[in-house]
Amino acid sequence: MKRLTCLLLACLTALALTACGAEKPQEISLFAMDTYMTLAAYGDSADDALTAASREINRLEATLSRTIDTSDVSRLNAGETVVVQPETRALLERALTLSGETGGTFDMTVAPLVALWGITSDAPRVPSQEEIDALLPLVGSEHVHMDDAVTLDTGCAVDLGGIAKGYASQQVADILRAHGVTSAVVSLGGNVYVCGSKPDGTPWNVGIQDPAGSGYAAMVSLTDRFAVTSGGYQRYFEAEDGTVYRHILDPRTGRPADSDLLSVTIISDDGTAADAYSTALYVMGEQEAVSFWRAHGGFELILITADGRLLYTPGLSDAITKPEDCAYDFQLLTAQPAA
Amino acid sequence: MKLNARSIALCAVLTALALGLSTLENLFPVTLIVPLPGVKLGLANIVTVFALYELGAVPALTILTARCLLGGLFAGNLSALLFSLLGGFTAMLVMIALKHCKGLSIYGVSIGGAAAHNLGQMAAACITLGNTMVLGYLPFLLAVSLVTGTLTGFVAGLLFRAMRNIRLSH
Amino acid sequence: MTSNSSQPSLRPKPLDALVAAVVIALAVVTALLFYLPKTGSGDQLTLVITVGGQEQSRTPVTQLPDGPVRIEGRGGYTLTLSPSYSDLPFSPEWSVRVSDSDCPGQDCVHTGAISRAGQSIVCLPAQVVISLVGAASDVDAVLG
Repeated sequence: MKRLTCLLLACLTALALTACGAEKPQEISLFAMDTYMTLAAYGDSADDALTAASREINRLEATLSRTIDTSDVSRLNAGETVVVQPETRALLERALTLSGETGGTFDMTVAPLVALWGITSDAPRVPSQEEIDALLPLVGSEHVHMDDAVTLDTGCAVDLGGIAKGYASQQVADILRAHGVTSAVVSLGGNVYVCGSKPDGTPWNVGIQDPAGSGYAAMVSLTDRFAVTSGGYQRYFEAEDGTVYRHILDPRTGRPADSDLLSVTIISDDGTAADAYSTALYVMGEQEAVSFWRAHGGFELILITADGRLLYTPGLSDAITKPEDCAYDFQLLTAQPAA
Repeated sequence: MKLNARSIALCAVLTALALGLSTLENLFPVTLIVPLPGVKLGLANIVTVFALYELGAVPALTILTARCLLGGLFAGNLSALLFSLLGGFTAMLVMIALKHCKGLSIYGVSIGGAAAHNLGQMAAACITLGNTMVLGYLPFLLAVSLVTGTLTGFVAGLLFRAMRNIRLSH
Repeated sequence: MTSNSSQPSLRPKPLDALVAAVVIALAVVTALLFYLPKTGSGDQLTLVITVGGQEQSRTPVTQLPDGPVRIEGRGGYTLTLSPSYSDLPFSPEWSVRVSDSDCPGQDCVHTGAISRAGQSIVCLPAQVVISLVGAASDVDAVLG
């Protein structure tokens, strides 16, 4: 009797302790598309899914790269008329649509100016206004001719970098789902995709970096969503005279966007659009961004303004949390302007 | 234990006593002294220990189950049921085993029961929360169980001394 | 039916001490298991430095040296990682940042200080990733 009870006890304790084992994710991290990417997935198929996802990311990088001579994009930029791959065509068309939607605040044809400022290179510089004026006419959707083959006007260039990560996150999402993964979190250099919920069923907690500090400005609980944040604080360079030049250019002026926003976060079901909107709305500034959201809808928005406010859309009311030490003034955006 | 009116009544009284003690201890905010979730004086265990010795394992188990179910209903908190049942049953199993050790007094059995009670509650917490974060409290709860077990044993001992001349269950 | 009531010994006996000792031992063991720093299952905030995809170091922040740390990245770039302790209101007590780097973009320096699990500083040219990890992280991913 005593032995049986002891055995029972041992089993009970063992059972209790195994019930407490937390599931560990499969993780992959890589450098791609000019940024650092981490992917973590749970479940039996996580391993295969992640391998497939990283292969896809590398493939996309090669396809969309501006530096690999044989990619469609490079050949277009070199002046060739290219019969592009269906995927590239679809992306180019999407970029043109997004450009139209956002009134040109997102524009893939801003590439020549990006090169002028040396933003993604090792030597950023401040060009003169004449240099900017010379290249500004090259910006615009009208310079992209989408016939059976695609041509760009002379001197023009496209850079799909503004939607590449968003599109990649969309592809990764499809791959994860195709492999039956129901719980994963992916960060492609700040383009975040959360698949399903955490293994314990609770939503994923995504923190939004405080543009002005080291903590979080806000936290959002998300399931099955894409989230992208753009802000001038992410990349910038200081000129010799101390002026700070931020890396997000306004395609309409050819200069770094002079925005009253510190950061824009888009939460949506469309990864590609989220990527483009986050840059576009940053360029637009608070008023235009809010009008855009009111007119368009279809996504959730968090704006952090230079004067210390954090504006968020009603769809996030239940999901957003203000951290303890956050100094921002949280304000709800309304669908209609206050009368 | 014979299943007659007298013994059933005895069990009922003990159950009521256990419930009363349980309600009483909820009035003491023990968490002010020991800031751990789930720390209790374990007063109801006095009845459990007493019943175990006086009536045997099965009646004691029955009283325990009844006390947990009714206690959950009265407190309006059925979700805590998993905690009290797992804790109670684990404690019971350990005490039944320890009872067979001739070398142990009521104190040893009570301490063992109190510690097992905490283990069971921990397991319930891990299952409910789905993670192991709460295990951090376990060392402290176990240390506290030394005290609560001794206390329970002491009071149950007083009860036995008082009852020495009264035959309860035949 | 024989009664199965038995009188327990009401005075403490020597073997009781054994039971108490077992409980104490159990408490000590669970304390060690849970509170000792261990890779992968510790509760502590840990600084992880990765160079070129290879993990170079993984140290609980409480065991880090007080002064700056030099990190040799790929491409010949060197970063200097500096911890700082702050008692300004609204800011975490301990944080770490890249105080100096000879990389071209200076993104790592511009990232500023990190203090929470889940945050990281990345230097692409040097292929250096400095991140804070810990089981008790309040976020699963960081935007921005």
